[in-house]
Amino acid sequence: MDYNLSDLQEWDEKICAIAKKHGLDWFEIEYEFIDYYSMIGAMAFHGLPSHFNHWSFGKSFERTHHSYNAGQEGLPYELIINSNPSLAYMMRENPLPLQILIMAHCVGHSDFFKNNRTFKGTRPDTIVGRSRAAKKRIQGYVEDPTIGIDLVEQTIDSCHAVQFQIQRPGWIRRSRKEIIEHHKERLKEDPDADWLDPTHNPLEPDYDILGFISENARIPDWKRDIIEVCRDEGKYFWPQIQTKIMNEGWASYWHYTILHELDLPPEYHLAFIKSHNQVIRPHIGGINPYHLGFHLFQRIKERHGVDEMFIAREVHHDAAFIRQYLTQEDCEELNLFSYSRKKNEDVSVDDVSDEEGWEYVKKDLVSQVGGGSIPVLYVLDVRKDGSMALGHEHDGRDLDVKELKATLQHVKNLWEYDVNLDTIIDGKYMKF
Amino acid sequence: MSIFKEHRTNADRVASDRRRHKEKIDKAIREGIHHIVADESIIGQNGKQKFRIPVRGIKEHKFVYGDNGKQVGSAPGRDVSRGQKIGGKDRGKPQRPDKPGNESGEEYYDVEMDLGELAEYLFADLGLPDLQRKQLTNISAHKLKRNGYRPQGIIPRLDRKKSAIARIKRMKAAGFDPDKAEEGETFPFHEDDLKYRHYKLKDEPCTNAVVFFVMDVSGSMDQNKKFLARSFCFLLYQFLRSKYENIEVVFVTHDVDAKEVNEQDFFTKGTYGGTAASSGLSMVNEIISERFHPSAWNLYAVHLSDGDNYDSDNGKYLEEHAKLESMVQLFGYVELEPEKSYMEENKLSKVLLPRIRENSRCVTIKSKDDVWPAFRELLNASKGEK
Repeated sequence: MDYNLSDLQEWDEKICAIAKKHGLDWFEIEYEFIDYYSMIGAMAFHGLPSHFNHWSFGKSFERTHHSYNAGQEGLPYELIINSNPSLAYMMRENPLPLQILIMAHCVGHSDFFKNNRTFKGTRPDTIVGRSRAAKKRIQGYVEDPTIGIDLVEQTIDSCHAVQFQIQRPGWIRRSRKEIIEHHKERLKEDPDADWLDPTHNPLEPDYDILGFISENARIPDWKRDIIEVCRDEGKYFWPQIQTKIMNEGWASYWHYTILHELDLPPEYHLAFIKSHNQVIRPHIGGINPYHLGFHLFQRIKERHGVDEMFIAREVHHDAAFIRQYLTQEDCEELNLFSYSRKKNEDVSVDDVSDEEGWEYVKKDLVSQVGGGSIPVLYVLDVRKDGSMALGHEHDGRDLDVKELKATLQHVKNLWEYDVNLDTIIDGKYMKF
Repeated sequence: MSIFKEHRTNADRVASDRRRHKEKIDKAIREGIHHIVADESIIGQNGKQKFRIPVRGIKEHKFVYGDNGKQVGSAPGRDVSRGQKIGGKDRGKPQRPDKPGNESGEEYYDVEMDLGELAEYLFADLGLPDLQRKQLTNISAHKLKRNGYRPQGIIPRLDRKKSAIARIKRMKAAGFDPDKAEEGETFPFHEDDLKYRHYKLKDEPCTNAVVFFVMDVSGSMDQNKKFLARSFCFLLYQFLRSKYENIEVVFVTHDVDAKEVNEQDFFTKGTYGGTAASSGLSMVNEIISERFHPSAWNLYAVHLSDGDNYDSDNGKYLEEHAKLESMVQLFGYVELEPEKSYMEENKLSKVLLPRIRENSRCVTIKSKDDVWPAFRELLNASKGEK
């Protein structure tokens, strides 16, 4: 390294001053400098400094490590987590101009974590401690001779299978009591309102499958605890899934803006432009969230002004953000197109961003972003024999049958009883 | 102002998870390896060469959408038009064009190993210590080994150099100088000067093995049966290879007549003729007597057939089999995918079964899944267990 800590502190001060001037409001950031190997390790645990152990993190490590060594993918320049203070991991090997860009980028992320509405339920003040405590408890179950690593591992396997089949940010989940109260209110106004069967469980479809199992399954406490740990983690990560494009777009917009206002030496400036272009380049045939997000925030500023940008970063998630701000002009400029795989055939283009096609392309894009690629399932009923019935909100996309069957086994493992799922495959109602 | 922290020592937080993951992969390799090896070429792999084996990863299942959804991509500055094909149906999937029956969404790891490691995985849990010991040592060659010199012996073993040296020594000791010797005075060899090379018979464990693959290539052996044959041969070949330093393979094909062929022809060439299975075994017997004496070689023979044979040939087959069985370590008769047919009772296996002894075994393979169990069964036979 041809720079030292005081260089970084100096640049950090300047970055913070500019960010403040623009009205950014972020958690304090703790930078930690690590080598590439530790970076891959940190990535395996999604940046959480203390995390329970599970083989899947080893798998994730191996995969990243392998593709990094094979030159198939670079490592992220930085890894920052939604905590207060925000923990940011930086690669020691990076040159100074890149570190400057990354610090500015981190300020953008931290501001987004702190202000975006989607993140309201994530409890960033306590995440590090929660995660550490969970690690200790789970380690305890592993060491408990009556439980052991195999059972713990199987339970975590199963929890991971449905980790994001929980209440999504912004969705309302009412308790039994609330539903009954609400129903009584309705009956007062309209005595003919639908009859509510109080023996039914759940009273209305419950989209929080892990939550429902945790509350209703007859399972040992350690198992319930593991389910709750995974559910909490799912809740913690859902907002990041929902706002990937906005979050990266926002951070990229700010590193770009801040670095233009920093008094960079010319040779740094060139390095910065190079790195920036590398980050926000389009992925041909796919969507680079940095590229799309950066583009949209720039257009919002041009079309609606800076204030609108700040509003967008506060109230939207990716789907709403694109629905609201992506115009035909953008679609044309980014040359967006939608494609699909025809049955047993090649992949071919369905719509392109021209006069009649762009709205369809936009609709398809909205359905795939922000966790839109995670199917929506819910608990429909627990039958008298104790078996659970799951439902699927079919939106035109079929579930993958092979995966569905394997995943159902995991739900059974958690529920410790039979589980069925109704869905539509190839236009036909199917029961699994 | 932000906080800058020096690196904590969290050297390898993932170490235990990686180890656990590796254990799972190892297990998957062991459980699935007979599928993995089914496509490898039998011969031509030397021991040092590493090859990459695709191992099905430990998949983490989730509810996901299938194939019929639409996706959006971007392509600034490029031409994209409706209906344009943008890649094959395997786009975005791990590409394994060499693996038939690859299902969508499978994750693969390339595990690099050499044949030794592969054999270790393959045969680690076969649990056949008896087999290994017995078969490695029960055949031994009596070899003559030099073992010093003796004063007595037969003339052909006379060591002239040693004998001459002994004579010179004696001459010096006696003070005889041939240069100063008088005319006619000599110093002849004495009987004590003569040294004979001595040889001793020694038992050496034999580490040579030869495996005969005999296959029926008559009209009824189709590609599918040949594929099964190939997988089976590979397993056996690799197993023996992991046990013996030196292994030779002889391929024999037969319809009504047998001939010795190379590997390529063995698996690819077919004929339309009928079948006289005895010809294959008699060919093996012939080759053994010519090139591989049972005292010097561990002999293995496998006959792969679909079981159809001329009735009139069955008697001769049993004769040849009995002869072969007396010489080999192990004879395996592998019946491939025997469909129900009107001549069920005439299948070779039915004829052979009542006649087999300890070191023969009949197995049947109906599908790819039977290859490994059949292989195990075959090896168990030579343990002398039923």
